[in-house]
Amino acid sequence: MKKLVALLLCLMLVLPVFAFADDTVEITLWTYPIGSWGNAETVDGIIASFNAVHPEIKVTVQYLDYTSGDDQVTTAIEAKTTPDIIMEGPERLVANWGAAGKMLDISDLWDDAVKADIIAASPAVEAACKNGEGIYYEYPLCMTTHCMVINYNDFEAAGALQYIDEATHTWTTEGFLNALDALNAAGYVPTAVVYCGGQGGDQGTRALVTNLYSGQFTNADHTAYTADSEENIKALQLLQTLVNEGKLDADPGIVAGDEIALFCNSTISMGFCWNASAAVSNKASLAEDVKVFPMAFPSDDGIPELQGGIWGFGLFDNGDDARVAAAKTFVKFVCDDPAQAAASVYASGFFPTRASLGDIYAGTDKAENGEYAIFMPFLGDYYQVTPNWAAQRTEWWNLLQRIFAGGDVAAEAAVYAQNANK
Amino acid sequence: MTSGAVRAPRAVSPAMRAAHRRENLAAYIFMAPSLLFFLGFVIFPMGMCLVTSFFNYTMTDFSWIGLANYVEMFQDAIFGKALVNTIVIVVVSVPVTCMFSLWVASLIYKMKDVHTSFFRCVFYLPVVTGSVAVTVVWKWIFNNYYGVLNYVCKNLGLITRNINWLGNPDYALGCIITILLTTSVGQPIVLYVSALSNVDHSLIEAASVDGATNMQVFWKIKWPQIMPTTLYILVITTINSFQCFALIQLLTSGGPNNSTQTIMYYIYYNAFKLSRYGYGSAMGIILAIIIALFSALQFKLAKTDNG
Repeated sequence: MKKLVALLLCLMLVLPVFAFADDTVEITLWTYPIGSWGNAETVDGIIASFNAVHPEIKVTVQYLDYTSGDDQVTTAIEAKTTPDIIMEGPERLVANWGAAGKMLDISDLWDDAVKADIIAASPAVEAACKNGEGIYYEYPLCMTTHCMVINYNDFEAAGALQYIDEATHTWTTEGFLNALDALNAAGYVPTAVVYCGGQGGDQGTRALVTNLYSGQFTNADHTAYTADSEENIKALQLLQTLVNEGKLDADPGIVAGDEIALFCNSTISMGFCWNASAAVSNKASLAEDVKVFPMAFPSDDGIPELQGGIWGFGLFDNGDDARVAAAKTFVKFVCDDPAQAAASVYASGFFPTRASLGDIYAGTDKAENGEYAIFMPFLGDYYQVTPNWAAQRTEWWNLLQRIFAGGDVAAEAAVYAQNANK
Repeated sequence: MTSGAVRAPRAVSPAMRAAHRRENLAAYIFMAPSLLFFLGFVIFPMGMCLVTSFFNYTMTDFSWIGLANYVEMFQDAIFGKALVNTIVIVVVSVPVTCMFSLWVASLIYKMKDVHTSFFRCVFYLPVVTGSVAVTVVWKWIFNNYYGVLNYVCKNLGLITRNINWLGNPDYALGCIITILLTTSVGQPIVLYVSALSNVDHSLIEAASVDGATNMQVFWKIKWPQIMPTTLYILVITTINSFQCFALIQLLTSGGPNNSTQTIMYYIYYNAFKLSRYGYGSAMGIILAIIIALFSALQFKLAKTDNG
């Protein structure tokens, strides 16, 4: 009897092992909060669609945030517990983890048809997804141009609408300065805040500086940071003067998220960190007197060069061919399946990296997102793949902090360049 | 027995030795889980940290560089700034925490039980509240544009225009220390209330009858008896202050212009943001040595006759 009980107990222990020993492949996806890709309900829906076609692949999701996400990935890389798929942009997938040899070469996903479709949407996207040797580490899904935002009501009341081109959502540096004067004269103080507290959103301050006098943030081949160029120093000096004169605020105590909150609650009339997705996610928190009007960054020639955001998928090599194949199947489904691709991009709130998808927002709940497509022709160089990117970001915040604390602009920019280009 | 006399060793029977062995074995078995945990999660990582500190350990490299990380550290201006800031935090927050806690405990331990419990709860609340929640609230309080502190100070006529508390290098570190104090005093107050309640009342009564003043009673009777508690509080508060990290990460990221940079945050920044694990480990070793020295100094200074 005892032997029988022992046998049964052993069988109970072993049976679950056999139960799972089927053809199911389990893969993990880690995703940063790229629009609704940080929302479990949305991602579960996408996975359900995937499983309707591929029931043999089980996808487990972990949601990262931009505060601690990089730390989690770094820890996973060192502990060799990386996910199979990760969703982010080229600055991490290509320039950071890819350059460190941690990502899989996914050039096989880039067939000629896909490549042509992506290049038709934007050649910059295709270029950003591969390293200098032509190895692709990212399979892109969506893109956007980061812009700034003004409170239309404040501008109207201050008589500052004359300084913007409402049709193209652009303005010149001179128009920007005039608008600041008008807002100050009308009592809309503080007008805007150059946030420099770190932790993300640096694309806004970088674009503000580089556009004012048509500077470039890096050299053309993305090997050196050029924030100390003549144009950029001139722009930084202008911002320092504006802050000293009280026409503009600079605040090392707030981060981009705080600045967006200040805009939404009508404390300031302009925000430097905005895009199509931010418009959707902050809709509910807008004060009654705030009318969102997205704008390109002011530039001396009126032709802005906007900072792009490209998001897609990269694969870590976990040494299991079956998982790699399953991960590629998932990525292809999400990005290229005729019935799914548009929905995947729609979830992000941004724009497709495939020209063939066209306007995915027409006639939807996010129709206003389509308005942000007006900025796509201004998509500038995707320089975030320049080496030493993570260290550069901290140096950038420190540069702004030193300048707005009264530092000599040229000298501080030289310190920045020296540290960032180490 | 004279001091020069030597007691003859008592004979120990084999049976007693076996019993001792069994007792020791049982003790080790009971200790094993926590000992394994301690070895695995404290001693082993410490050893790894020490080893790693001699390597150029990054995401792409693991090569022996000897003391180069330590040499670089002492030439690193930001590390110097972080070290100074950390020591300022410790030097200010540790005595203030101890004195404030002792003062509050002295006031509330004589109250009725219900009142004492109420105040203990009030002061302990920030300790049990998550650090993220605490920092979010303080961020609102210090907000440059609509913060409560600016509002109150302006209405009291203390300031004429808003102060950027967390954005100004002159105030930022002070703000961090203030928040640190609110989260640090809870446990010391609870400990001091307990220690003061356990002071021998017959001694206090006897001293009072003999005409001792309140101050004399405190310094001559209470203070020596609560010294072990004070030592514990000093050591724990010192370690916590040296390891100040969450507040910095959530509030200032070490800014503005490194004015709130601490060693712990700089270790994190190098290890996790720049993937310089070896350099971060070297700083961790130096931090551990500094904490050990401070703690040893406190043990030495606070040593009592029976301590």
